[in-house]
Formats: sequence, structure tokens, C-alpha cells
Amino acid sequence: MVENILNSIGHFYPEISIVVTLCVVIIADLLLKRENHTISWIFLAGLTVTGLLVLQQTGLNTSIFHDMAAVDPFAVFFKVILIIASLFIVLFSINSRELDPYKSRLGEYYMLIAGMILGMFLMVGSTNLLLIYLAFEMTSICSYVLAGFTKRALKSAEGSIKYIMYGAVSSGIMLYGISLLIGITAATDIYGVNASLAAGIDQPMILYIAILMIIVGIGFKIAVVPFHFWAPDVYEGAPITITAFLAVASKIAAVALMIRLFKVSFMDTASVQIIGDWPIFEGLNWNMLLAFMAALAMIAGNLTALKQDNIKRMLAYSSIAHAGYILMGFVVLTDEGITAIMIYVFMYLFMNLGAFYVAMLFSNKLNTESIEKYKGLGFRAPMECIAMTVFLIALTGLPPTAGFIAKLYIFGAAISAGWIWLVLIAGITTVISLFYYIRVVKNMFFFKSDGISEPLVFDAGSKVILFMLLIPVLLFGIYFTPIIEFARYSLKMFGM
Amino acid sequence: MPGKPANDKPTYDEANRLMELSAILFYAFTVLTVGSAAYMVFSKNIVHAAFALIFSLSGVAALYVLLYADFVAATQILVYVGGILILILFGIMLTTLDFTENLKTVTVNMLPASLLSGAVAVLLLYVFFAAEWTTIVPADRDGTMYDLGMMLMNEYLLPFQIAGVLLLVAIIGALLMSTRHKNEP
Repeated sequence: MVENILNSIGHFYPEISIVVTLCVVIIADLLLKRENHTISWIFLAGLTVTGLLVLQQTGLNTSIFHDMAAVDPFAVFFKVILIIASLFIVLFSINSRELDPYKSRLGEYYMLIAGMILGMFLMVGSTNLLLIYLAFEMTSICSYVLAGFTKRALKSAEGSIKYIMYGAVSSGIMLYGISLLIGITAATDIYGVNASLAAGIDQPMILYIAILMIIVGIGFKIAVVPFHFWAPDVYEGAPITITAFLAVASKIAAVALMIRLFKVSFMDTASVQIIGDWPIFEGLNWNMLLAFMAALAMIAGNLTALKQDNIKRMLAYSSIAHAGYILMGFVVLTDEGITAIMIYVFMYLFMNLGAFYVAMLFSNKLNTESIEKYKGLGFRAPMECIAMTVFLIALTGLPPTAGFIAKLYIFGAAISAGWIWLVLIAGITTVISLFYYIRVVKNMFFFKSDGISEPLVFDAGSKVILFMLLIPVLLFGIYFTPIIEFARYSLKMFGM
Repeated sequence: MPGKPANDKPTYDEANRLMELSAILFYAFTVLTVGSAAYMVFSKNIVHAAFALIFSLSGVAALYVLLYADFVAATQILVYVGGILILILFGIMLTTLDFTENLKTVTVNMLPASLLSGAVAVLLLYVFFAAEWTTIVPADRDGTMYDLGMMLMNEYLLPFQIAGVLLLVAIIGALLMSTRHKNEP
């Protein structure tokens, strides 16, 4: 018994490191002067250490703390993505002028981000329904507060309240679904759920309801239609750093949680050889449900984005649409589909963070998030605008950017699995998405700026961060083999 | 704690009378719990609602006792009834009087909301009656403290610790939301 715990601790260093970082930030916040960004750098150092510890876990494939969580290539892949996103968010926060009035609160801000990272790390690794729910709540509670961090801004407070309301209801429904699943299968760890289902539980209707309820909770986190209503208001109200974090990290973590939960629990391991890639239990076609949700997300997200003027709101709808594309890789039930998702989220990380970053830079200087006000910016800040153009083209999915590769693999996986109607919808909505992404580019380059024409000057630090995002988006559009190798290698889940 | 499915049939004969008694108690406490919860939801007076919640949570504690979960029952009373609800009551009473008096609960979208909750109720009732639950008959035992302690420090060590961090983060979040610094805009 004790050996298991002691061994497990050895495989739990990243999470321990992030909790230590959390505590160090609390203490540093007490001791340090609050007028500068020392605390940001301390937090950044803590994250870097955590990142190194995550990298150290590559190659492990084991279960820890009595099957509570797994440390496998799948978890490590997503932890790497999450830590990259978190590092960028800290860099964004240092450069954000929006957070300046709240400088004395930066300690709490980073504590909550640390809590969120811990929650997301556990989300991608946990293999027990109890821990899955705990991790889920940890992420949610931190993000509720962070969404309302700039609480003197009315929009921020409004968004936060809406987020809590929707979040509490959907996580309650998810908890009910989990309790149904446990009630039928009498197991709390997902391997036990699978074993019970394999032994033959002939209650497809009840299982459907349980799965539906769990999808409500996870769908809320991924912000997929029809559980997306909170997203635009929260994304618009939250400080832009947090918006980016929610749109990228917490979405990706929820996708990972969903893949692991569904794959391990509902895969018919006995008939792997007969049917092929990833057989699901007979009469339990939950993937159809997800296919409809994906289609709805792509349609609703892209069509609503057309009408938006606030850049954050537009990116919110675009992220709903992207959630649809990501889900598409999941419904095909093949290893190819999961690989495509992993490639997609990796590319999505850079391009979406990039778009949010440029929006933040403009918001710092111009104090506006309106796309209409971007008119003529192409001449005042050419480099930032070109970068924005690249990010938006990548989000559309055009070559030669990383976004093209991402979409290519997702579409390819869906076509080879025979989901033609879904790919058709995805293709059409991608064309639609071009309109609103290009509108930003058009406003930046094809209009004379009204009156003011002096160039916007950005300091060297912010340019470096911009290049750190821009280079991967361009590079992975051309040289993407390592990412694909990494994703293929990371398919392996513990117990599969 | 849920465990593995129990394969052996329970021996009803000697425990039959005790079962009947506990069934009666179960239904009594269920009525208490659900009834006061309903009163809490429909009450327009916030103080009455808080008191109703006390009864509801005490009823849940009694249900825990019937499940042989003595420690959880005691914790439920100590933490929820004794701690959190008293805090809520103090909070209500210490805030300015006219604020609480003018506090109105408003119901909007009556029709769609009732339809939705009716549908959900039907769904949940269907699930409750249609599902074949895996039941575990709780073994008679003197106390759960020892086992609980062992489990929390062994199989469930990780969730236990994570729950601790979760509470820490929640406290920080609550502080952040409720306090105001002087130099803030």
C-alpha cells in the first residue's frame, strides 16, 4: 500500500511543482513590493520547472495512486501543450495594460492560474470518476474568478456571474450523469466501468442518459453547441489574457478528458481485432450524438461570428466553431482521428494565442476591441498586422500555415472513416469562416486610417513574444513531421 | 464508498424487522429533506429559506446515518448545519435590514422553465425506475472511522489532497471577489 503511494509521488512531480509554485506565489505576494512584475517572473520560473518535470515524464506509461490517475504519453502530450499555453499567458499578462490597475492583485491572479493549471493537469491524467470531477471543479472555480478578475469593469462582472451560473448547472448535471454511471456499473475508476460494461449491462437507454449528462458538463467546458451560451459574454468580459487561456487551455484539457473518459470506458476491448480501430459497445452509439453537436457547433459558431464587431467576441464564436472541428476527429473513432485532434490542438494553440495576442497589443495602444476601429492599422503597425493576418489565415485553415495541416488531418481522418456529410459541413463552414477572418484583414489594410496616421510603437519584448507565436504557425505549416510523429507516439493510453 | 458489485444475496430473514424500521425512517427523513428543500426554493422570505435549508441538510445527515456512514453524517451536521448555514444566517442578519427586506425573488420565463423542469423530472423518474441498479447492502458495522481514515490515506489519498488545494483556491477566489483595495479604480 505505502509503496504504491511512494512510487506514485515519483511520477507526480509536475503537479507537486505547480502546487509548490502556488504556495511560493502566496508567500512572495506577502513579502514583495507589488508595484512591479517580480511575482510574474517568479511564477514564470515555477512554470518552467514544471514544464521540465513534464518533459522528464516522456516515455512513462503507468498508473499512479491506486489507479486514480495515469502518467502515459497521452497525458504528457497534453500537459506539454497546457504548459506552453500557460507560459504564453504569463508573458501576455506581463505585457497587458488591462491588468495594470489591478497590479496589487497579481499574486492572487497567478495563484488562481496555478490552480487552474493543476486542475487541467489532473483532467488530462485522471482515470477515476471522482478525481475527474474534482479536477473539473478545480479548473472551473479558478476560471470563474479569473473571468471576473477586472471586476470594476461591468462586462467582466457580468461575464463572471453568467459563467458561474452556467457552470454550476452544467457541472451539477454532469455529476448526476457520473452518479448514474457509477450506479449502473458499480465502479468509480474508468477501467472498472469498462469491465462492467464488457461483462454485459443491457441498459442502453440509461447509459445514453448518463453519457448525455456527462457530455453536458464536458461540452460546457469545450464550449460546443448547444452548451456554448456562456462563451461570448465571458470571452468578451474577461481580461484578454484569461480569454485566451479559456479559449485554448481549458478547452484542450476538456477535450483530452473526454477522449480518455470515452475511449477507456466505452471501448469494447474484446472485439478490437474483429471490428477494427476503436469499437464501441453495441447499441451505444454516442458518437452520433457528438457528430450532431460538432456539426451544430461548426454551423452556429461560424454563422454567428459573421456578425460580430468585438474582436474577442468574434474569436469566441470562432473558438466554438473550432471546437466543432476538434470533435469531428473524435466521432470517427479511429486512432487516426485522435492523432488528428492532437495535431489540431497543437496548431490551434499557437494560432489562437497569436490572434488574441495581437488583439491585446492593439487594445493596449488603442483601448478598443472593435474590429471597425482597426481601419488603417495596417499602415500604422505593419508588422503586427501582417502577423495578425497570418494567424487569421491559419485559423481559417489555408496553406502555408499550421492551420492548413491541422484541418487537413482532421478532414482526412473523417473522410477515411466515411463521415462524408460531416466533412461537407466542415468544408462549407470553413469557407464561411473565411469571410469574417478576412474582414479583419480588410479593415486593417484596405482602409485609410481616419485622421491619425502616426505609427504605433511596440517595445522589443512584445515583438519577441509575437515572433515566438508567429514562427511556429509558419514553420509547422511547412515542416510538420515532428508534430505528427509526436502525436502518433502520444496516442498510447495506460490500460489500452 | 462504492465498491465492487456484491454477488452474494443478502440474508434478509434476521434483518427483516430492522429493515422495515429503517425503511420507515428513510421515508420520513426523505419527506423532511425534500419538503424543506421545496419550501426553501419557493419561499419568498430569505430568512425562512435559510431555516428551511437547515432542516433539509439535517435530513440528509439522517440519511447518511441510515447508510451506516456515521462520520459523514457527523461532518454534515458540523460543517453544513453548524457552520455554513449559521454563517449564512449571520450574513443575512448582519447586512442592513432594508436590504434584506426589499430583497425580492423574481420568477421569469415561468412557462418554459416549468416545461423544462417537468421534462427533466420525468426523465429522472424514468431513469430511477427503469435502471437496474447495482446494489450493495451495507454491512452492519460499529464505526467507519478507522476504515475511512485508512482509505483517505491510501486509495483516496490523491482526491483527498486535491480537495484540500481546491478549498485553498476557493478561499483565495472568494477573498479576491469580495475585497476591495484602496488603490483600485
